[in-house]
This record gives sequence, C-alpha cells and structure tokens, in this order.
Amino acid sequence: MKQFLQIALGILSAIGGFVDIGDLVFNTQAGATFGFQLLWVVVIGVVGIIVYSEMCGRVAAISKRPVFDLVRERVGFSAGLGTLVASEVVNLLTCAAEVGGVAIVLKLLSGLPYRALILLGVVGVVVISWVLPFEWLERLFGYLGLCLLVFAVAAVKLHPQWGQVAHGFVPGMPAHNHAVYLYFVVGLLGAALTPYEVYFYSSGAVEDGWGPKDLRINKITAVIGYGLGAFLSFSLMIVAAVLFLPRGIDPQFLGTPALGAADALGKIGLLLALVGILFAVGGAAIETSFSGAYNVAQFFGWQWGKRRKPSGAPRFALSWIVIFVLALGIVMTGYDPVKITEYSVIFSVVALPLTFLPILLVANDPTYMGRHTNSRLSNVLGIVYFVLILAIAVSAIPLMVITNGGQG
Amino acid sequence: MSSGDELDLGLGVLDHQLVDSEGRNCGNVDELEIAGISSGEPEVIEILVGGNAWRGRGLFGRIAAALSGDAVHVPWSEVDEIGAVVSLKQTAPELRLGRGDDRAAKWVERLPGA
Repeated sequence: MKQFLQIALGILSAIGGFVDIGDLVFNTQAGATFGFQLLWVVVIGVVGIIVYSEMCGRVAAISKRPVFDLVRERVGFSAGLGTLVASEVVNLLTCAAEVGGVAIVLKLLSGLPYRALILLGVVGVVVISWVLPFEWLERLFGYLGLCLLVFAVAAVKLHPQWGQVAHGFVPGMPAHNHAVYLYFVVGLLGAALTPYEVYFYSSGAVEDGWGPKDLRINKITAVIGYGLGAFLSFSLMIVAAVLFLPRGIDPQFLGTPALGAADALGKIGLLLALVGILFAVGGAAIETSFSGAYNVAQFFGWQWGKRRKPSGAPRFALSWIVIFVLALGIVMTGYDPVKITEYSVIFSVVALPLTFLPILLVANDPTYMGRHTNSRLSNVLGIVYFVLILAIAVSAIPLMVITNGGQG
Repeated sequence: MSSGDELDLGLGVLDHQLVDSEGRNCGNVDELEIAGISSGEPEVIEILVGGNAWRGRGLFGRIAAALSGDAVHVPWSEVDEIGAVVSLKQTAPELRLGRGDDRAAKWVERLPGA
C-alpha cells in the first residue's frame, strides 16, 4: 500500500511536470503544424527525463541531498547563484503561465471575467497548498489530472492513419520549414526536460525520507510516471494532427486542445479535457512555486520542506507564497499565458546544463553514492543527453528569434 | 571528499549545509578563514556564513555581498562532525545562525494553520 502511494509522487510529477501547460502548447502546436512528424522528439524527451529523474531520485535516496544542494556544492557559489537566478526566473515564468492556464480553464468552465478568475485561481492554489499535506496535494492533482487520458481515447476515436503515426516515430527532416521544425524540436525537448520537475522530484524524495530500499520504487515511478506523460503527449499531438492540421487551425489558445476531445467524445469529452487540463496546470503551478522555494532555501541553507509546518520553515513558506504573488502580477498584466509558456520553455532549456551536470557528477561519486553509483547504461545515456542538452541550450534562443517563436 | 585523516576543504566542506545540534538547517559554509599560511602551518580557524563572506566567491558573490550585511563567524572548534553536512556542537541561536528564519517565523506564525 505504501509503495502504491509512493507511485503517486511519480504520477503527480508526470501529469504536473511532463504534461503541463508547456506540453499542452508545444505538442498541440507541433501536431497542428507538422502532423505526426515530431512524435519521435517526445520519445527522446521522455527517455531523457526518465534517465535524469531516476538519477536524482537515487542521489536523493542515498546521499539525502536534493538537487540544488548539489548544484551549490559542485559548481560553487558564483556559478550556483547564476543557476539559481536563471532557474528562479524560469520557475516564476512557468508558474505565471500555469496560473494563467488555470484562469483560462476556469473561464471556459464558468464564463466569469478572466482577471477575477486569475485572482480566484491564485488564492485557490495558495490556500490548497497551505492547508493540504504533501500526500493530499499529490493525490488531488495527480489523480484528477488523469482526466487528461480522455485525449488518448479521443486520439483513437479520431481514427488517425496509424501507418503515418508509426512513421512519426522515425526521426526525419521535412522538405521545407527547417528552422520552424527545429524550433519545435527544441521546444518539445524543453517541455519534456523541465528543470523544475527535477528540483521537485528530488526534494520530494528527500522529504519522503527515501533510502536504499526505495531505489526500486524510484525506477518504477520514473518510468511509469513519465511514460504516462509521454503517452499523453503523443495523444495531444495526434489529436492536433488529425483535427487542426487539415483545417489550417493554429492553436494559439489553451482551450483549443479541449476542442479535440469534444469533437471525438462530445460534451463529456470536453468536460473531462477541461478538468484534466485544470488539474494538470494547477498541479504544475504548485510544483513550480515549491521548486522555486526549494531552490532558494537549499542554496542558502535555510530550513525547508512542505512536511514541516510553515512556522518550522518560515522563509521557505514565504518564498512559495511570494512566487505565487509575483506570478499573479505577471498574468494580471494581461500578457497571453500561451506566449509566457513559450518563453518559459525556451529559457528553461538554457538553465538545463547547470542543473543536470551536478546530478551526473554526484551520481558517479562513490563518496556520496557508495555502491549505488551510475551503471554503465546510466552513464552512457547521461552523457549523451548532457551533450544534447548543451546543443539545444545553445540553439534555443537563436531559433526562437529566427522563427519568431515558431511562427515562421 | 575525505578519506581517513585527509579532508578536501574545497569539495568536502565549502558550500556544504550547516546543521545545528538540534538538527536544524542554519546556513551554508560560505567561506573558510585560514590562518598560518605564511608560517607553513595552515589551519582553519573559522567558518563564515552569509553577508560579506560571499565577497570572495566570484562576480555574483561580490554583487550578493554588496547587498548584504556582515557575515557570522563560527569558530572551527564548534564543528562536531563533517559528513554530507557540517554538524555543529551548539544550537543555531547560540551561534547567531538562522536569524533570518527566526525573524520570518514571527510573521508566519501570525497566519492561521502555521
């Protein structure tokens, strides 16, 4: 039973992290622009997040150290502070995008004014985060986020050409539109390899008191949790490819993917899709704000943890509240959450290398890890992905500028 | 990190978490004060925590130090054990550490459910 509950950590991570507003935006836009051609990128992204999440979960279980602790220790104060600032900017932008997503879905469900719903949404997630214990946050957002599985049903009911879908899993390059295609490759990888997800996962593992006996559960949660996330990403892209590409629809609105579920399954499909999106982006809003608080508290050595009462980790508690308040301010300006999402995903790619390098170094250090250092497979994959991350980190911003944010 | 009597100060102590005698996180090892270098018998005498301890820690360290106050000096003799974290012999208030958390707690405690 306890092991089953632990898997919830992975499911929350998958829904809130793998499928958050970044995945909803990039997968849907990729499907609407290039059909099934970019499905292979999701596979590469999910294997990468499985490799690094398993690694940071193992490091947390054996060394009891969360990621930002290691960032500081391994890259030093100055580079560590640079990484902290970059990751906090990305966390804040992502949190703002998710909060905007919550408000958009609430507007679609209720018809009330958008700005009032932003305020209501933020107050709602702050109160829920304050009141509910860690386990209940996992369960509430993890399980209700599973309503997103409606997109998998919709993808099947729309009867795609399965031969073409299978062809999408083979890497290739289209005859034209190379720069926009590469922009989506970088965006999809960035949406899959979110740094806040790694911070949250490892801090959660330390909070849950993982030890050597939990290494198996770590592997299972990483593979099942993120595998489920990838499954949903495929579904979103397939639905967009079948419905939006032939009609020339450019899904610049967060509610557009839900229309795909409505087309295939009627009103109940629409409702399930909106509830799934609401809890996926709501859960991700909480994860991003908590990740921001974890990072700053670990970097400066403060008391931290959601399992402690707020008065036992006061600067940590104030930090996540401040992140929500700043996110509220950003979204209240009226800037489009979908645009904020694109910026947050592309900038997060730039912060990735300094997040993943310390994990890779410590996972290979026997003084921290004893006999649980990386296997040869983990190392080969870890190094290959680190090189890939460096390449996409260098190309992310130029591609965003050249393609005008994927608009061509 | 360390093996036997040897201790790598750069990798095994600097930037590590400080934990007081009651298990409370109370800052990081931001800088080490070393004496006796010129006499050929260097010895760590103090751990510096926060504020201007960051001055010698690169460009961002100088900027952070300029925006902060004085560092807290913790005598090396107060170190109880060095492992994944640096454990101290006394409580954080006795060593003037963790004061930011104490100040913030006064605000947070006013909120319901804190």
